[in-house]
Amino acid sequence: MPPKKTTNQKAAARVPRKRPATTDPYEIPEEDEIEPPKRRRHAATAAADTDDATVSTPSASRLKKTVATPIKLNGLNGIDTPSRKNNADRSARRKSARALVDRVISGAISDDEAEEGDIAREIYESSEDEEDEEGEEENLNGETEPTTTPSKFAPGRKRKTTTTRTRKRSPTPPRNLPPHEQYFFQNKPGLSKTSNNTLSSLQLLTHDEYFSLSRDLSSANPHKTDITHLASLHVSSFPQWAFELSQSFSLCLYGYGSKRQIIHKFATYLSSHPPCSLGQANKIVIINGYNPSITIRELLCSVASAVSSPTTTLPGILSYLTTHPKTTLTILLNSVSSPYLRKGSFQSIISTLASHAQVYLCCTTDSPDFALLWDSAVGTNFRFLYHDCTTFCSYSPSEMEVVDSVHELLGRKSRRVGGKEGVAFVLRSLPENAKSLFRLLVGEVLCADEGDGQGQGQGEEISVEYRMVYNKAVEEFICSSEMAFRTLLKEFHDHQIITSHKDALGTELLSLPFGKEELEGILEELTT
Amino acid sequence: MAEFDDTSLFQEDDHRVAYMFTAPPITTAATNASPTTTTKSAPGRPAKRRRVSEKDTAAPLPAQEKDDDEGRQWPRLFNGLESPSAADLRKKTYESTWPVLESEIESVLRDANRQTLEEVVEFLNSDVHECEGRGRVPAGFIITGPNIAGQDLLFSQLGDVLAERGEGRGRFVRLRAGEVGNLKGGLKRIVREGMGGQEGGGGEDGRMRGGGRRYLDYDLEALRVEMEGRGGGRVVVAFQDSEAFDTGLVGELVGLFHSWQDRIQFSVLFGIATSVELFQARLLKTTARQLYGAQFDVVQANAVLESVIMAAVAGTKAQLRIGPGLLRKLVRRQQEQVAGVGAFVSSLKYAYMNHFYANPLSALLVDGQKLDKEILQSEHLEAVRMLESFKSHVEQSVEDGRLDHARLLLENDDYLKGRINRQAAKRQQYLGKLLQSLALVIATEHSKRSFVELYEAALDEGISLDQSPGPFDLGDAIKRSTPEELIGLIKRVMTVIVDGNPSLHWNGMGIGQDAEAAIDKFEALRADVERLIETSKKKKTSLKSKYSSQSRVLRTTVVAQKVQLSRDTATLTEEDNAFTAAIDDFFAFFKTLVGCEPLSNLFLNEVWQYDYHLPYEDVFVPRPGATFARALSRPHDYLGCACCDKANGSMVGTLPATSILYHLYSEAGASINVADLWAAYYALVGEDSEIGMDERSALVLFYQGLAEMRAMGFVKQSKKKADHIAKLKWL
Repeated sequence: MPPKKTTNQKAAARVPRKRPATTDPYEIPEEDEIEPPKRRRHAATAAADTDDATVSTPSASRLKKTVATPIKLNGLNGIDTPSRKNNADRSARRKSARALVDRVISGAISDDEAEEGDIAREIYESSEDEEDEEGEEENLNGETEPTTTPSKFAPGRKRKTTTTRTRKRSPTPPRNLPPHEQYFFQNKPGLSKTSNNTLSSLQLLTHDEYFSLSRDLSSANPHKTDITHLASLHVSSFPQWAFELSQSFSLCLYGYGSKRQIIHKFATYLSSHPPCSLGQANKIVIINGYNPSITIRELLCSVASAVSSPTTTLPGILSYLTTHPKTTLTILLNSVSSPYLRKGSFQSIISTLASHAQVYLCCTTDSPDFALLWDSAVGTNFRFLYHDCTTFCSYSPSEMEVVDSVHELLGRKSRRVGGKEGVAFVLRSLPENAKSLFRLLVGEVLCADEGDGQGQGQGEEISVEYRMVYNKAVEEFICSSEMAFRTLLKEFHDHQIITSHKDALGTELLSLPFGKEELEGILEELTT
Repeated sequence: MAEFDDTSLFQEDDHRVAYMFTAPPITTAATNASPTTTTKSAPGRPAKRRRVSEKDTAAPLPAQEKDDDEGRQWPRLFNGLESPSAADLRKKTYESTWPVLESEIESVLRDANRQTLEEVVEFLNSDVHECEGRGRVPAGFIITGPNIAGQDLLFSQLGDVLAERGEGRGRFVRLRAGEVGNLKGGLKRIVREGMGGQEGGGGEDGRMRGGGRRYLDYDLEALRVEMEGRGGGRVVVAFQDSEAFDTGLVGELVGLFHSWQDRIQFSVLFGIATSVELFQARLLKTTARQLYGAQFDVVQANAVLESVIMAAVAGTKAQLRIGPGLLRKLVRRQQEQVAGVGAFVSSLKYAYMNHFYANPLSALLVDGQKLDKEILQSEHLEAVRMLESFKSHVEQSVEDGRLDHARLLLENDDYLKGRINRQAAKRQQYLGKLLQSLALVIATEHSKRSFVELYEAALDEGISLDQSPGPFDLGDAIKRSTPEELIGLIKRVMTVIVDGNPSLHWNGMGIGQDAEAAIDKFEALRADVERLIETSKKKKTSLKSKYSSQSRVLRTTVVAQKVQLSRDTATLTEEDNAFTAAIDDFFAFFKTLVGCEPLSNLFLNEVWQYDYHLPYEDVFVPRPGATFARALSRPHDYLGCACCDKANGSMVGTLPATSILYHLYSEAGASINVADLWAAYYALVGEDSEIGMDERSALVLFYQGLAEMRAMGFVKQSKKKADHIAKLKWL
């Protein structure tokens, strides 16, 4: 239903800022149930709505109103009304709408078809009716402040029954709840009211576009001077930090913003102004914890090479340091709380290093939950002093893969080969039967998608059974043995253009990490 | 342009996991004559080369020396007006005070564990033969209490002691649950450390060499050969945090030790946080049967903490007094967070560091004679005149009518200097009195409060025996004592006066007149009381005072099968009266010895008292959640920018993208539609708004914000609906 999309977006722009002043999702189905006669009231309107080209409308004003209200916002919100019955209603409505449209297009009306059409129309109207009401109610709520105003509604209507039987309504969430209460409030079942809008109309950023734009943007940052000033404030406490390090404390810098540059400047400062206890032969090692390829071995190796210790094991380095009391080592560790350093063994190794008298550690952390990384034994080894080092600096590409991270967050998975083109690129290098297999797979997934009904958005991946795909592949002479089939799949796996998992029963399922449109595009490309 | 160069130079290193930082040339600024460079340095090899080539031209050496000097010295306070010698003095004072205390604390901590260590070592050495007869593995269960931070120290000490006693034959292996995941890992560790911990012993193929043969690195046979070569000895395996180990793993290891017992002498130690019973309940019965155990208790953390406080906070060796407020806070944190004593010591050290580093008046802490008048500059005096204690002292003088004194203090610098020089002596006097009072109060053994509480109260409110009810409300208890108790009390008090209190490092009253007078007085009292006891013994009456409880209670007597209630109004005999007088006398004199003012009443107490919560709290108990929330919800607090001035915690388009997203996020429900989030964001900054950003640029910033929100752990992917993310934090 393309025309509705525009109203959708307008409404969507409003939704997050306005407190959801929507109606209680639970009342509508009940109304349907109790008072079927009411449906008749909007029969004409609904019909006009669907096929106004053919049927003349007796009440044009009414029609306008239904179009003007952001109908879909509440009406088609599957999460609003999570009852199964309601969902069934929805799909029934959709089917009936299609039936109606088909009938109009074909133009041929036989008797039994007409009867069928009546049923379809009735189903369609019943849901139209509820949408109407919701729309109306939203208007009312919009006018009056978002408080419960059932009294505003037309007197004598079914309000009385609904107010008594529905759960207590709360159009505005209570304000100023303590965090834990808010958690429970927001996680109440059935309370998540979000619109069905998707980002499909928005062209997502590619890496190239992102980098070219972000370079310009960072130089045009309106807060640039303020950020520099903030950094200079941190720089002014370098002597203090150096003193604290020299007193065998470790430093932990936390706060919002990238602290990589601060660390770098601190290293520069330390090398030019070494505090007394840091000897002349103080070695400074900077470790980038945000690097996904960081390993314990590599970390220890670089530490060992910095102090020119012959062994690269932890006890080896420590005993080497003990025997060379003049060598001191300063470790500056970026992002100690990065996902790659969260393993307990990592933290305990770093803490053991830091607890050595000749090792000085200064680390930064980017997430507010860093304190959970350390149990009290590890924490004692660290002897941390924490400093608020909020910088507001943006993260460099090395620290944060912005585009990948966001796409992963959205479930777009563009980290794999770049969509359609990527697949084509991969398949070009594969033998013919691999191509056929992939085509088969795409076709199957699309079929499964169709069969599933149209309700699924891109969020859900459609899976097909491994066994079924294998059988079809054998039928089409793509491969002769399961071995060969596996080999072909392995190739796909390696390029991350398919994923496989097992469901609760242990059936192996294959799926493609692409949206429907992309799949259609791929299929097109493969068949031509 | 220069900046861009710099960042690109960075990036090379930023993508590396770890690299050595090489000092950039100091002359970067000269060659790269751009004053706007935010990043002064460019690391890497090319820079180094440049340094060599320019050495002769730029002559950076003097600058380097000067910089070095700066690094070694503390920054000058008073906005840089402080003289270098004063800054130096502060530094020297810090360097001479803290290490003394640190070694003191260390010895206290070592002493605390000594007894346990002795017992454990004794057990391991003596019971071996007995156990061998039964073929069981000797096991020591060391109850360490819930504080696992303290275990490390204990076990490392144990290792040292065993190495010392074992004359290099025995081996000590420490296992931690985090490092030993399975049987193989555990055995590898045991074999490796048992063989002396040399990594070189194991080849590339993971085999150990021993006695000409090669063994797998988890084969205990290798260890046996090694031990035999060394002429026997025991292998002590310590499970440091036994509760954290997988029970099955412990069972398997013990089973192995048991079966190897005829070839290698194994002993095990368990560090237990709960109780032996609970631990045993987790073990299999077969495992438990293979162990022959003894239980050892470690001195509990509270007791250790108290002795540390006595030695390092209250004792005479402490130059700086930790104020009562801070001390209370530290002790409470110790109890609430089950932090180790180490955390307390760190806090203490940090207080010292803070005081000497940041308080210019700490220079005055030097002993009066040493405090050169040259050091004192006008800023010092000005600062002194700003002190709270100075003000109240002057006000007090005015009230007392000592107008000249007050005027001189305010106007005459030399007079003030003289006063400042005298305060060191006053401080000593005060501390002497404080410790004397505390030591005597403890010696009475009538106070129900712990030493820490007494000390806090003394600093806070002063010591006064009259105050009732109060922490030093000892009057009743002393007066009610029986003759024998009184004699014991007098003896204890005399010991304290003569010998002092060793844990406070207070050496008694010394050999002054006061001390002699006090001793004489107490001797006389004791003789009196002893004489009274003698006489009453002869008379076969019991000696009592009018305060003793018997004289007041009701008596029930059964006379001719009737219960008689009678108030005991037994008249006091002559001796009783004399004894009462003796008690009164004692108490009156005791009162003259015990008592001191609150710390805050003292002139210039700020010089040697540290009682600030703020840096301590921020530095040791950070609140990162609040910090992040503040930065994101009110960026103006940090940036101080003009554009977001009016926002005042609300949402405006000029805020950084992440901050706007944070605002939207905190209004959103548990599940967030990214499409709507984007729409709302774009409505704020987009072309229709005041900011007027084009869609693609806004999208870039939106991406950055979203990625940062994710990195900070605010959101995660949600599969519930398309383009939805799940909220993770409720702040």
